[in-house]
Amino acid sequence: MNLLSDPVGVSHYLVVGAILFTTGVVCMVVKRNALGVLMGIELVLNGANVNFVAFGSPVLRGEQASILGLDGQAMALFVILLAAAEAAVALAITLNFYNNHATVDVDRADDLKG
Amino acid sequence: METDLGATLSTLLGLAWLIPLASFAAILFFGPKMGPHGRNSAWVATGAIGTSLALSLFAFGTWMVNHPPAVAHHGDHGDVHGEDHGEEHGKEHDDSHANNHSAEATNRVAARLVRFAEEQAAEGGHGDREHGDHEHDGHEHSDEGHGDEGQHADSVEHGDTGHGEKIAYSGDWYALYRSPSLVLSIGWYIDSMTVLLFVVVTFIATCIHVYATGYMHDELHDVTDHEVTLAAGGHLHRPGRFPRFFQALSLFCFSMLGIVIAGNLAMVFIFWELVGICSWFLIGFYFERKSASTAANKAFIVNRVGDFGMLIGLMALWGALGTLHFGDTVSVDAEGHQVVEPGLFSLVRPAENGHALQVPDGMVVAAAANRVGNIASTVSPEDARAVIAEQVSGWRAMGMGNWLLVVAGLGIFCGCMGKSAQVPLHVWLPDAMEGPTPVSALVHSATMVAAGVYLTGRFYPVLTPDVLVVIAYIGAITLFIAATIALVCTDIKRVLAYSTVSQLGYMMLALGVGGWVAGLFHLVTHAFFKSLLFMCSGSVIHACHTNDMRRMGGLLKKMPYTGWTMLVGCLAIIGAGVPFVIGFSGYYSKDSILAQALLFRQINPSHAILWYAAAGGAALTAFYMFRLWFMTFIGEPRDQEVAAHVHESPSVMTTPLVVLSVMAVAAGWSLGSLGVVNLLEQARPLGTAAGMTGGGLLTAAVTVPAEAASHAEAIHVTATWTAFATAGLGVLLAAAFYVWRVVNPAVIATTLRPVYVFLENKWYFDEIYNWIFVKPAHGIAMLASANDRGIIDSILHLAAWLSRQLAAIDAWIDRFLVDGLINTLANVTWTMGLRLRHVQTGRLRQYVMFIVVGTVAIFLLASMMLSATVAIP
Amino acid sequence: MIGTLFGVSSLLAATSGGINWHSFFFLLFALLACGLAVAVVLADNVVRMAFYLVLSLGATAGLFFLAGAEFVGAMQLMIYVGGTLVLLIFGVMLTAQEPFVAIKTPARDKVLAGIVGGGLLAVLLQAAFTGPAWSEAPADMAERTLGQVTQPSATPLGMALVGVRVDGDVASGERSPADGNVRSGYLLPFEIVSVHLLVVLVGAAYLARTKRRKAVAIARDESTTGGVR
Repeated sequence: MNLLSDPVGVSHYLVVGAILFTTGVVCMVVKRNALGVLMGIELVLNGANVNFVAFGSPVLRGEQASILGLDGQAMALFVILLAAAEAAVALAITLNFYNNHATVDVDRADDLKG
Repeated sequence: METDLGATLSTLLGLAWLIPLASFAAILFFGPKMGPHGRNSAWVATGAIGTSLALSLFAFGTWMVNHPPAVAHHGDHGDVHGEDHGEEHGKEHDDSHANNHSAEATNRVAARLVRFAEEQAAEGGHGDREHGDHEHDGHEHSDEGHGDEGQHADSVEHGDTGHGEKIAYSGDWYALYRSPSLVLSIGWYIDSMTVLLFVVVTFIATCIHVYATGYMHDELHDVTDHEVTLAAGGHLHRPGRFPRFFQALSLFCFSMLGIVIAGNLAMVFIFWELVGICSWFLIGFYFERKSASTAANKAFIVNRVGDFGMLIGLMALWGALGTLHFGDTVSVDAEGHQVVEPGLFSLVRPAENGHALQVPDGMVVAAAANRVGNIASTVSPEDARAVIAEQVSGWRAMGMGNWLLVVAGLGIFCGCMGKSAQVPLHVWLPDAMEGPTPVSALVHSATMVAAGVYLTGRFYPVLTPDVLVVIAYIGAITLFIAATIALVCTDIKRVLAYSTVSQLGYMMLALGVGGWVAGLFHLVTHAFFKSLLFMCSGSVIHACHTNDMRRMGGLLKKMPYTGWTMLVGCLAIIGAGVPFVIGFSGYYSKDSILAQALLFRQINPSHAILWYAAAGGAALTAFYMFRLWFMTFIGEPRDQEVAAHVHESPSVMTTPLVVLSVMAVAAGWSLGSLGVVNLLEQARPLGTAAGMTGGGLLTAAVTVPAEAASHAEAIHVTATWTAFATAGLGVLLAAAFYVWRVVNPAVIATTLRPVYVFLENKWYFDEIYNWIFVKPAHGIAMLASANDRGIIDSILHLAAWLSRQLAAIDAWIDRFLVDGLINTLANVTWTMGLRLRHVQTGRLRQYVMFIVVGTVAIFLLASMMLSATVAIP
Repeated sequence: MIGTLFGVSSLLAATSGGINWHSFFFLLFALLACGLAVAVVLADNVVRMAFYLVLSLGATAGLFFLAGAEFVGAMQLMIYVGGTLVLLIFGVMLTAQEPFVAIKTPARDKVLAGIVGGGLLAVLLQAAFTGPAWSEAPADMAERTLGQVTQPSATPLGMALVGVRVDGDVASGERSPADGNVRSGYLLPFEIVSVHLLVVLVGAAYLARTKRRKAVAIARDESTTGGVR
């Protein structure tokens, strides 16, 4: 197959990243469990990470990667960190919500309805 | 010294004139506060008019001292002087008659006024011989003026009237309006007639003020007027109006004296109207009575009809002559020369013409306007004046301008007709009896109605023979009609009113036939005895509380003062006296009128009717006056209720009666040069001593005889006996009907029923006027009112309706469109908000979806717009 | 070791003229990651979702390794998988009551989400292939995958985090053509993130604290004092 024999380029990684991102978004939209939404968020961030890494990868981009240097990887690193922080806070919110409303169904969190 | 006297007289008489005005103003502002209920306002008014009387007497004395009048040459008067110039005068006058006839022969149909130079010369010589104690010659000169208010100075006329001298002072106090073509000023024209009339008017006014103080005492408290019925039933109850009466009387005195002193026709007109207004106030004093207010309106409106003619006369005079002053005006121009502006008398009877009447230059030129225009167009302006001046006498000889002079005379006489109640403008005077009796005595018998005669006398020099004949006929008609109506009146004041009208007719007749002194003499005597008669009737009315003579009778015993003084008045009015010896005042004046009328008939046989009217009128006068006296004072009382309450009036009312009766007896007598006739002769206008022949425009040529000719024995004797006979006949008839009851008047009334009804309805004058004037006026008024209500009001209603409809449309627009727009906007905003609210569901998953959709959309849009090629770093 | 493995595979591929083992492993990991991610979406049971997610992120780490970002891959496994997802699993554990384990979504939402997701995917995929340079691999990719040309990324990353950039051509300190400046390190972001993490910690701890039963306490107090204060 072409895919097996041809070398992988940035666009392949971008495709993966796109799929992950989209899946994460769909998961956010579809899941009624708050933790399911969180998982969707993680997938989104991962998709973005894949993109970052792809653009900053010396393997995939060769000499052009030296322009960006390690910026892509550093950004991926920071994203991971922030994802962790955000997950912690999100979880705190979810637990708080669970404590107050005895449910983790996000469809029940519509007090801000207009 | 001359002008000093003029200044003195003008000051004295001016003050006498103005003091009643001050009294009017004082009572106007402070009347109700003068004493309880304004009682003292009567004394203010009486004091004012009394002061005017004193000043007038002082002026009179000054005049007598400085210009003692010539003794009149009437041999058969109670004259202490005793001169008898009858034959001499007869000769002189025969000459003048011969001259008159020759002049008559030269008359043509197109009138030419002829002067009699010979007569003038003869008269002039006569005058010199008789009056040596006068320092002035028979020539006319004017004095230079000394400063007065304004630039106009006094002027003094001295002229030879033929029977003495004409001395007159004229001047101006104040110019109301000054323009090159017209000067309206307040000024004076003082001659002996002015002084005499001042005395007469103020004297009678003073007596009447005193009388009215007692007569009007009803007005000092609230009055219940039994002649006014209110709409709710019951009689009117109103507060008294005592001060207002004297306020109006004071204003009237001021206005009347203004007419007497007036120096120009414009001033006369002003005060003419003022007198009319005062009369209106006074007649309508009891204005809540419909009869009184209607009578006041009638008086004023009828007077206005006369004033219309007066205005035409004024316009003719001013338009043609440019001046309305009686006497000459002397002024000093810029270079210090004397400038004399001739007045009306000098223009119409110039000295060059020997003071004979001629059409003045101004009127000739005005009448010959076509020719003047031709001249002006063909010749240069400087020469034009000279050419015109040459032509004037020729045009005058052709009779140009005569019409204008006639129109002027008739116009002024129209005003006199209105004021002096001549037929056909006499209808207001009987109704004017609605006013209180003092008003009737002062205004409508002695003074205001006499103003017409006075003006005719003052304006006499300007009247042509045509006009004089018209005046005479109107006077004759008036005296006859009024006398016949007085025969059947039962209201005591009505009888006296028609008697006044009749006597005024006598005065006009006298003036018309050339008896200038006779007419004015009768004016003076009539003033005394007529005011006396009215005041006596007022006393009777006051006692009986009724005007109806049919309810009176036998009052003489209970009211002696009133009765006997009224008898004096009746005797005076009929002209009673011992022929050729002595008589009441009316005897002398009526005699002179009849003498002049007889003379006129002799000279102009075609106008004999005037004489018969005068004589017949005398008989009628005697009849109805004594009918009045007998019905009131003699016999048995006809109404017991009235007789029970009758009592004599208080002395404040009877004293003036006595004073006036003295004057009614003695006014015709002369004491040396002190006599009414002498004074009047002194005031005779220049040129009127001689007769006039002329006319031809309105009548055939007529000769107006010189008055001196009426003193001829033949005429005088006839006139005296005629007067005596007619008066005696009238008295006897009255006695027969009402004292001895030989015939019952009621039987005669039924026998001559048509005549009686005709006379009782006052010859149907009021009904005729109602049909000719009042009903058409009402018709026009109704048309106008219908037009106003139907058409104009309809237009207004339509406009209002249209406005309302427009307003309704506007309101609809405002409510539905404007408000609707706003409301719709608000609703839309609200609805949109409501709808948009639902976008916010609060559901997390939906929000995420929106984020994604939005991002995709933006990305697509951006890529489309930029035709995206992603930049590759 | 993995690098060696990869190097061997790519060498094998090059010599055999058959499989490019780099691509093969890329495909393997990619399919794992994507498939498991899809499984996360499709699963109803939240516990199973968590498990699938763990595996998916692990596969992503593998992708990172293949891209030459070993440090990032390692961090992914350590922090992300081992920390964040464990935290997530804790959360699942705490809230996985019977009714909440598998909450069903209405089918309509799923369809709608599928459409929207499809749209987004289409856009992204289209973008992925726009860059012409992105499709090609560099010429010396084989050497790069063997780690012969590139250096390991851990040390340069560490140095960058303390502010010294030693990667690429910049090691000599030349200016970067991109921005014209001497590239700075990531010291400041590093510090910020540190503080950030502290704040998050505190905040999360506070948010998730157990609320005291105030109503009970008040009732108890009232019963003892017996009356309104």
